[in-house]
Amino acid sequence: MSSPDRPEVRLALPLEDFSLEVDLRVSSRVAGVFGPSGAGKTSLLEAIAGLRREARGRITFGDEVWLDSETGVFQAPEKRRIGYVPQDGLLFPHLDVRQNLLVGVRRAASAASSSFEALESVAELLELGHLLTRHPMSLSGGERQRVALGRALCSSPRLLLLDEPMGSLDLPLRRRLLPMLRRVSQELEVPMLLISHDPVEIQALCQEVFALNRGRIVAEGAPTDVLGNPEVFPLAPAEGFENVLQGVLTASGGGTSRLRLGPGGGAELVVPRVDARLGTEVLVSLPAHEVLISTGFPTGLSARNILPAQILAVEPLGELRLVRAALDDGGPTLSVEVTPDACESLGFVPELPVFLVIKTTGCRVYWEGPRNT
Amino acid sequence: MDEATLGALGLTLRVASLATLFALIPGVPLAYVLARFEFLGKGVLSTVVSLPLVLPPTAVGYLLLRMLGARGFLGRETLGIDLGILLTYKAAVLAATVMATPLVVRTARVAFEGIDPRLEQMARTLGHGPFRTFLRFTLPMASRGLLAAALLGFTRAVGEFGATVTIAGNIPGQTQTLASAIFSAQQVGDQREAAFLLGVALAVGFVAVLASERLVRSAPRSSLARGSRRRRARP
Repeated sequence: MSSPDRPEVRLALPLEDFSLEVDLRVSSRVAGVFGPSGAGKTSLLEAIAGLRREARGRITFGDEVWLDSETGVFQAPEKRRIGYVPQDGLLFPHLDVRQNLLVGVRRAASAASSSFEALESVAELLELGHLLTRHPMSLSGGERQRVALGRALCSSPRLLLLDEPMGSLDLPLRRRLLPMLRRVSQELEVPMLLISHDPVEIQALCQEVFALNRGRIVAEGAPTDVLGNPEVFPLAPAEGFENVLQGVLTASGGGTSRLRLGPGGGAELVVPRVDARLGTEVLVSLPAHEVLISTGFPTGLSARNILPAQILAVEPLGELRLVRAALDDGGPTLSVEVTPDACESLGFVPELPVFLVIKTTGCRVYWEGPRNT
Repeated sequence: MDEATLGALGLTLRVASLATLFALIPGVPLAYVLARFEFLGKGVLSTVVSLPLVLPPTAVGYLLLRMLGARGFLGRETLGIDLGILLTYKAAVLAATVMATPLVVRTARVAFEGIDPRLEQMARTLGHGPFRTFLRFTLPMASRGLLAAALLGFTRAVGEFGATVTIAGNIPGQTQTLASAIFSAQQVGDQREAAFLLGVALAVGFVAVLASERLVRSAPRSSLARGSRRRRARP
């Protein structure tokens, strides 16, 4: 791709309690909008998709102008070539899965790509092959989301808009769908804009994030920076900051499994048992308040993970402090919530060598799992 | 079945079918507009469409008669040509159409209101223009409700009497429908004929209502059945 197309959105849209006023220049291929429910995220996506006629401002994508209220330009939704995946999937109830996947294929065909091939490859990518003759009513929540994503992909979109791709799913399903979404987003070349209230989802999928609160962008940048931002932090649902780590399964036994933490490090992590082949790539989410910092090697602890690390930075996080520490041997960086009191009495400063103590049960592991389940 | 009865039954079915068709053609788009859009005068429009439902059928017939009479705004002297409607089967079709339209519009409107407009938006984002979206997605998704609307309109047209006799008369072999044939048989005291015609009317009505009940009920039942089968199948 020469100069990749990215959406640029300057928008004013009156909502019920407040108005959405954003200026958002996406520079990464996969960008996210993070915010609590009711922040105006869905309205933003709908405006970009062309489903909000009352939106004012200017929306461009590459050299195409989708909306310019000053010059009266409004590109109809069917002309924007967007793949919109709403939170509830919105599959057509009168069509089976195959027909649903083919709804946008007419446009894809006019964009000069063989529709049949597209269907086959999308079905394989999202593991939909065994569902093709089923009806939407008979699908589980996760299957429905996958079909909705597949339907968007089959229309050969120039931009994918994902509205809380896992928002309506329960934990066991999210565990499998998140790594799949991550794999799909890495295999595709299409730009994606996804909205989510889940810090784990944002970190696992996005290269860039905009934090939205009551219709305004309050922070933007790299996911870990934005999510650790004192203004953004209170917007996360209850749990606060979540570390998201990549790992590879290296051993399983008893009730636990052992991971090597990426990208190329030697750091190891013991997590609850993962029923997958050795070598499987997994994601781990670990709330920042589940990690302890010790200045010396602790003994007699039940926690299975005592990892040497070095403090990189100490940042204010509301009334708390967020300590960022890099695991030794080239391991990833973790964020740890501590009280200012602990911070001062233990003398946490950058470059201080410490040990991070992590309970096995504090780790939540996401992996794609066996096919067709 | 004697020839006159057969003729009345045939005419009734033909008139009712045409009336259903003519009620659906403006009725379905109108129902969609009423279901989806807000505009000035919507309440008035919706009320006017429903009026034939509450007026005595003979009043509607009288209104049509005035319109089609020589000096009415669809009459010979106004238009310069004679449409030749009054006292023909066309008048019966017209009367039945006017009487069936409110039921068709109201039922179709409910059918359209039951469809999530976001599904239509979804079709738009997938590259289908508004007209194509209506034809390819809205209509098929509403098909069950629309069939019920057609069936209701049809049964109303079969039973239409008051407006029909007013403008089409009750001419055996020409404009005499099942409803007016029963009236005639009863007027002349032909009990056997009246009872027989009653039986035919009952049969037609029974089949139509049974069919519409099945249409209305089958959708949720089948989806529930599928859902529970799926749940049981899961390990």
